[in-house]
Amino acid sequence: MLEQFFTLPYAILEVPNMKIKKPSWVQQPSAMVMFSIILASYFLVTGGIIYDVIVEPPSVGSTTDEHGHSRPVAFMPYRVNGQYIMEGLASSFLFSMGGLGFIVLDHIHSPLTPKLNRILITAVGFICVLVSFFTTWIFMRMKLPGYLQS
Amino acid sequence: MLKINTKTGLSSLIIFTVLLLAWVAGFSSRLFAVIRFESIIHEFDPWFNYRATAYMVENGFYKFLNWFDERAWYPLGRIVGGTVYPGLMITSGSIHYILHLLNIDIHIRDICVFLAPVFSGLTAISTYLLTKELWSAGAGLFAACFIAIVPGYISRSVAGSYDNEGIAIFALQFTYFLWLKSVKTGSIFWACMTALSYFYMVSAWGGYVFIINLIPLHVFVLLLMGRYSNRLFTSYTTFYILGLLLSMQIPFVGFQPIRTSEHMAASGVFALIIAVAALKYLQTMLSKSEFKSLFIVGALVAAAVVFLAVVVLTYAGYIAPWSGRFYSLWDTGYAKIHIPIIASVSEHQPTTWFSFFFDLHVLVTTFPAGLWYCIKNINDERVFVVLYALSAVYFAGVMVRLMLTLTPVVCMLSGVAFSVLLDLFLREEDTHRSGDSDVDDEQTTSSNRRLYDKAGRVPKMKHEQVRESDGIGANIRSIIIVVMLLLLMLFAVHCTWVTSNAYSSPSIVLASYGNDGSRQILDDFREAYYWLSQNTDDNARVMSWWDYGYQIAGMANRTTLVDNNTWNNSHIALVGKAMSSNESAAYDIMTSLDVDYVLVIFGGVIGYSGDDINKFLWMVRIAEGEHPKDIREGDYFTEHGEFRVDSEGSPTLLNCLMYKLSYYRFGELKLDYRSPSGFDRTRGAVIGNKDFTLTYLEEAYTTEHWLVRIYRVKKPHEFNRPRIPFSNRVVKSQSFISKKNTKRKKGTIKNKPVIVKGKKLLKQA
Repeated sequence: MLEQFFTLPYAILEVPNMKIKKPSWVQQPSAMVMFSIILASYFLVTGGIIYDVIVEPPSVGSTTDEHGHSRPVAFMPYRVNGQYIMEGLASSFLFSMGGLGFIVLDHIHSPLTPKLNRILITAVGFICVLVSFFTTWIFMRMKLPGYLQS
Repeated sequence: MLKINTKTGLSSLIIFTVLLLAWVAGFSSRLFAVIRFESIIHEFDPWFNYRATAYMVENGFYKFLNWFDERAWYPLGRIVGGTVYPGLMITSGSIHYILHLLNIDIHIRDICVFLAPVFSGLTAISTYLLTKELWSAGAGLFAACFIAIVPGYISRSVAGSYDNEGIAIFALQFTYFLWLKSVKTGSIFWACMTALSYFYMVSAWGGYVFIINLIPLHVFVLLLMGRYSNRLFTSYTTFYILGLLLSMQIPFVGFQPIRTSEHMAASGVFALIIAVAALKYLQTMLSKSEFKSLFIVGALVAAAVVFLAVVVLTYAGYIAPWSGRFYSLWDTGYAKIHIPIIASVSEHQPTTWFSFFFDLHVLVTTFPAGLWYCIKNINDERVFVVLYALSAVYFAGVMVRLMLTLTPVVCMLSGVAFSVLLDLFLREEDTHRSGDSDVDDEQTTSSNRRLYDKAGRVPKMKHEQVRESDGIGANIRSIIIVVMLLLLMLFAVHCTWVTSNAYSSPSIVLASYGNDGSRQILDDFREAYYWLSQNTDDNARVMSWWDYGYQIAGMANRTTLVDNNTWNNSHIALVGKAMSSNESAAYDIMTSLDVDYVLVIFGGVIGYSGDDINKFLWMVRIAEGEHPKDIREGDYFTEHGEFRVDSEGSPTLLNCLMYKLSYYRFGELKLDYRSPSGFDRTRGAVIGNKDFTLTYLEEAYTTEHWLVRIYRVKKPHEFNRPRIPFSNRVVKSQSFISKKNTKRKKGTIKNKPVIVKGKKLLKQA
């Protein structure tokens, strides 16, 4: 009964004689590949790439100083919901760098790392975290001059 | 035995204390607005929620469900009961009811004001539970503390911001916690609880669509990864059927879950998981080759049937295509072109880098680290959190408002990252101090454990290695710990600063600070609404831009034309058209809509930037969308494409109703000695059209700082005649008595000059 059911279509159709191989490059991606893709998209989104696509701001702004020369301005000041493309990318680079710093710190964990490497890894990790943190801080001060004051 | 007891007792005491402190800290950091101003409802939407809650408390639940509000959307009205998510009102209404049963006499307004801060504590607890399912209790405590004070969540839950999101984030986190619990255990009980919690979420916020798409996505990815299990089958099928039925009980949602495309993914996955389960079952009974051919036939037939069904149903109109709001999440340019009303809301703007850092601070960098740990040690629950993180990051990038859904997952993953890192640096020091901390070590840091498995050695080896690294590590380790604590401290400072400066303004009471730190309260909004409620007829219709609709209804209790529930685009476009056409054209629209008063917000005197002139271009755009023949956006710009209100501005702009109402009599006003008269502080320009009068409207009231201006629309008989001063008026005397009678039929002429010969004519007045 059941056998008839699933052999029924083959009474009408002829099975083509061909072999389809699963291509060798199709496989479940490894954890690291997945993470790299995610981190890359995180980098783009936190940089406000969607804002850039919709609003289409210039990559760097410009002002005129008192002599009438035009000077490039990297940051759109006072506007919290506006940005230039470059400032977004710069700060999202810092965010990702900080994130990588934290991830690098994790490698001290493995007991197989030699002594010197551990110090280096710790140093690199912390420099990444601190540099990204304080640079972002400075960016914030440029964007919002009264930040953390008053 | 006793030792273990004291240990678990101690750890649960710590957990309890930390969660309690998180609740208290979260609650108190949300009170800035109440302390600075007063216990008052904020902003726009909360006013409607408050009004609806008050109506429900007064008239009972069933009357609320059947409430037809004829004071909104004049002349259409609004069916409130069927167009509202009632969860918020029911929550605060039942709190009110219980407190009154206990004889605690508290006003419903205070419950509404403090509801969101109280719920933030519950959110912290549910985040703790969720993170605990995901990783460990320590990570959970970190996450709970983060979510209690993180600005991204505080922005929607300060005291007084009585909105759906305040309780919905709690429901969201709790539903996810229950879902993970049910996937882990595979018990019907937890799946039912998930469905119930989902029901609460549906009743509270439109964002429930996020849940009904994320959970099926989780199931789908698990299936793809070959992680099908009976536990998954039980929990998803139970959850889906119960959740579907429950969500359809909300009047506003109704039949949407089976008819709209937003919900189709869930039913597709439901069909898929049943198919997979059936195949798995058949696999146990059939031989391999039989199974293979069955699989191919089954898959082809199923795919064809599903595809045809969806196509036919969509064509037949049973399945609605994506609604505009959701569609704009995928095609990001869509809203900008087609739906200006969605793009006009500032919280629907795409996010810049600044918002990410401003709302999350250090968590924005620890988030990838936490994600990394989760991906590295993947299991069923962590797949879920990875998907949650990915989708939330994308949505937060599209809309500033959706930072709110990103915030909880960022807090959870940062909790994981901080907990692992601190574990690493704090714990290794005392590994050889006592035996049982070693056991702990093994349980919590899973990568350690994996190392044991691989090496298959006794823990002694590790001890030696640890001791070896200890020699170099002690100093560095303490430095690292200090730095990390410093980062966390800066995070707390940042959160408090942001909360106090950016998110704690009620926005209906403004405060300005003088150079000496003195504070001035500008209470113009309430002044104007109070004037409206006292000096106008009870049935007066007030026209304003839709932002102020809820406030007028809530505070002045007057009928409005449009409000923040922007369900009728053409009605809003009509108001926008009235505001952007000239006075006579606007008068036609206003008489056809029975408008009695027009209310505009004008910030030029005090430099308030959120006023109607700054929003004006959106009114033009929305009007243009519906009336492209009458209104063109290009007319309101100068030749250089600039929007300016000074003398170089375009003549269309300088003569439209909004301009006239904002700047009426403003040309005479001199703000200070240095600036010329008619200087607009917000735009930083002297206005272009100073001397004009209004024909069809008259000024009714202007508040102290000119922030709100109210005009009365004249009735048709009032402006057709020129106005004559009282002294010049000639009044016909009615005392004339005709001298005609039946005999004398000859009439006389009044004031007939009497002619006397030899004299000039004497004029009589």
